[in-house]
Amino acid sequence: MDMSGEQKISAPRATVWQALNDAEVLKACIPGCTALDKTSDTEMKAAATLAIGPVKANFTGNVTLSEIDAPNSYVITGQGQGGVAGFAKGSAKVMLADDGPDATLLTYTVKADVGGKIAQLGGRLIDQTAKKLAGEFFKNFGAVVGPEQEGDDAAMTEKKKGFFKRMFGKA
Amino acid sequence: MTKILDPATLDRPNSYIGKSVPRPNLAKLVEGRGQYVDDIVLPRMVHVAFVRSPHAHARIARVDATAALALPGVLRVFSGQDLAAVCDPWVATLAHLAGMKSAPQYPLPIERATWHGEAVLAVVAETRALAEDAVGKIVIDYEPLPAVVDMETALAPETPLIHADLGDNLCFTRTNQSGDVTAAFAEAHKIVEATFVTGRHTGVTLEPRSILADYNKASGKLVVHHSTQAPHMMQGVFAKHLRMAEGDVRVICVDVGGSYGIKVHVYPDEVAAVAIAKMMGRPVKFIADRLESFGSDIHARDHRIHAKMAVDAEGHITAIDVDDLTGIGPYSVYPRTSAIEGNQVINLVGGPYDFHNLRAKTTVVLQNKTPTCQYRAVGHPIATTVTEGLADLAADALDMDPIAFRLKNLMRDNSYPRTSPAGMKFEGLSHVKSLAKLMDMIDYPRLRAEQAEMQAKGVYRGIGFAAFIELTNPSPFMYGIGGARISAQDGCTVRIDPDGSVVAATGVTEQGQGTEGIIRQIVAEAVGVPVDTVRVVTGDTATTPYGGGTWACRGAGIGGEAALQAGMATRAAALRVASAMLQTQVEALDLVGGNIVERATGTVRMPLSELTRIVYFRGDTLPPDLPRELMQTRHFITKEFPFAFTNGIQASWLEVDTETGLVKLLKHWVVEDCGRIINPQLVDEQVRGGVVQGIGGALYELCPYTPEGQLQAGSMADYLVPMAAEMPDIEVGHVETPTRESLLGAKGAGEAGTAGAPAAIMNAINDALRPLQARVFAQPFTPERILQAVGKVPATAP
Repeated sequence: MDMSGEQKISAPRATVWQALNDAEVLKACIPGCTALDKTSDTEMKAAATLAIGPVKANFTGNVTLSEIDAPNSYVITGQGQGGVAGFAKGSAKVMLADDGPDATLLTYTVKADVGGKIAQLGGRLIDQTAKKLAGEFFKNFGAVVGPEQEGDDAAMTEKKKGFFKRMFGKA
Repeated sequence: MTKILDPATLDRPNSYIGKSVPRPNLAKLVEGRGQYVDDIVLPRMVHVAFVRSPHAHARIARVDATAALALPGVLRVFSGQDLAAVCDPWVATLAHLAGMKSAPQYPLPIERATWHGEAVLAVVAETRALAEDAVGKIVIDYEPLPAVVDMETALAPETPLIHADLGDNLCFTRTNQSGDVTAAFAEAHKIVEATFVTGRHTGVTLEPRSILADYNKASGKLVVHHSTQAPHMMQGVFAKHLRMAEGDVRVICVDVGGSYGIKVHVYPDEVAAVAIAKMMGRPVKFIADRLESFGSDIHARDHRIHAKMAVDAEGHITAIDVDDLTGIGPYSVYPRTSAIEGNQVINLVGGPYDFHNLRAKTTVVLQNKTPTCQYRAVGHPIATTVTEGLADLAADALDMDPIAFRLKNLMRDNSYPRTSPAGMKFEGLSHVKSLAKLMDMIDYPRLRAEQAEMQAKGVYRGIGFAAFIELTNPSPFMYGIGGARISAQDGCTVRIDPDGSVVAATGVTEQGQGTEGIIRQIVAEAVGVPVDTVRVVTGDTATTPYGGGTWACRGAGIGGEAALQAGMATRAAALRVASAMLQTQVEALDLVGGNIVERATGTVRMPLSELTRIVYFRGDTLPPDLPRELMQTRHFITKEFPFAFTNGIQASWLEVDTETGLVKLLKHWVVEDCGRIINPQLVDEQVRGGVVQGIGGALYELCPYTPEGQLQAGSMADYLVPMAAEMPDIEVGHVETPTRESLLGAKGAGEAGTAGAPAAIMNAINDALRPLQARVFAQPFTPERILQAVGKVPATAP
């Protein structure tokens, strides 16, 4: 299953690139992600809860960054085992381009596959679920990396604070 | 050849053959008081659930069952290696299918999973729920391997091999050739061709596959309660592969909730359950749930057929050329093999027609999908779709009416016995008479007039026809000749009990279709007793004569004849005793309505219960050397013909909504000739049920796969089956041409409906779409495909 999309982010490209390489940011933005721990500069261990149609399962697996071209693009690949529910794997090529001095246009192409019970039972729902999850991720990402907005709730404000704190080393 | 039973001689008080006698198990089944495998609960019984492969093809690298085994109530986990210690693998090939190959298959795979849904690990627990919970705790590291998914590229050099030892992914290929096809096409007046696709689908039995194996370590005996069509065959399979004596294995199937061929195969997960019972010394139950059924019940009909037909200027078929390709999964299914379906396609194609030049090739390839095997009307709907699709194309090319074209080409009713270009021997068929009968039923001119009338209003209605042949009453030429221990003969034991009631134990089995009903009718008539005094015993290897069970429409034709002969022999035995008791010539006596009567006058001399009282309790009063075996067994096997072919013709009248692509079935007709009809109502029900399953394949049912080999049918929401609301009235008519192979004269009737329905529907859809110059050849004929054909949505590959 293939899909693509773009997201405008109100932050400079360098900031966005930094965030794309920040496990805490990714954890906050990946829908259902419960753990994302760096094991090296390009590898992370991940856990996420994923629901497709009637099947909901906890997936554990690895996330890898490759084809890194800072601060322009990389490929983020994840694969996870969901036990009896089956497996999920996907990769996204993420590209950044300046959209004026203070904004970045993020475009992505995603290839995702699921297998096992989750594919058998959720077959009809996979495409729309994957699109929804990808959309959610990049929307979350744009929100976390972008400046504070009026609609932000307390949790979002915390996520942003965390990111900027790590980025600039200050409160 | 034997003489045939004359129905005129059957007009006696207990004449039941040919009458719609209600079947004995009806109340039990409709009141929900049947006994299915899942109803049986044994002391110390445990349940098995399976971890199933999420991959189409993967190496099983590491298994961690620690967390599963720590759950309370979880007893054991078994791997492929564990079971291989007690169970030998099987290779499903048949010697008469030259060159056929397949790989050894174990109850659970040893190192590789080869299809999505294959059982790879068994978990045993005190309840099914606990076993399923434990399955969720098992961690298996798979190393995914490249999967062979598309049958079109299965033999390409760059495609990986599923079983390296086999050398390629080819299971079987064969070409049926007769006459000079090349010359016939060169000289043809018109040539028509098409590529047909039949969709991979499955049987969807109401009762899922079920097994309960009970091994007693003290006695060394194994009792298997099994939802199966062939208990004796399974007895042999369990004995052989679990290294036991056949006599130590008993297989029992009481009630079976539908089978359709799905339950005549050896399933690795079921053998695993039996092997586990033997290892644990406890009764082990496995009931497939719907989700795992879709990925582990056999699939069928996954074919792509390039076909063409040549006709001369007068409209005679001169040649048919067929290239069939089918993908059967990673293993041929034991013991019938998965090559039979393709073989049937090339044996049956062109079946009803008088022509001489045939080339029909089937190529059976391995792939990483659920294994396919025999399902109701094996190969017939495919062969009929091809033949009848070509017939309509040819009629169209010749500007002939489809009925006129068929009438010109059908084998004449007086041309038998004869052999078809594919080598099939026909004893006696009635194509022309059947077509005439169909014309009587449908009012063809009125339908054509209505079609034109509706078309003027923008409503697209069509009528489609499908003549067909059906292979029934198989001889050992089907399987036995190839080395399979699948019995083509069957037996029946009839005995008269002390109260004068009769018990008939038969090797053919009951799956809800009424086998016990017709055996009861035949035996009541043959012995000469009221039908409600006959009890029929089926489905127990310990109590019934050895037989093949129920498949390939053999219950009535083979099992029925054995029952008739055993019943007649039992009557003769009773009359011999009666003649001694009554000091009368045996020829002067008869057994009618449960009484010994004078043959000439019908005067009752004594009730049968009086005779049995004397035989069983006062045998001392009979002459000492008088034979008194009120119990006789007869076995029957066909003799002259490898198969009893039946024939028939179907018509479908439907409406295609060209805006939505939906097909509305308005009416369906079937004329079929199954020889002697034993119970008209049951035959009609069989035909109707068969039509409905044919409609399912034609319009709804499909096991779709992703390009990675992921099955995408998991529930009845994804996998559509025909429901009552979509079904048309199905009118059934009969022509009776009894087989002369038996006294009874019965052939099979269970697959005729399925054989012809998809082709009739395809032709009716294409007839409806004719004004739009649109045609569909890929089943199921979904709204999407119909809208593609009429140009409403962009076309994709079938």
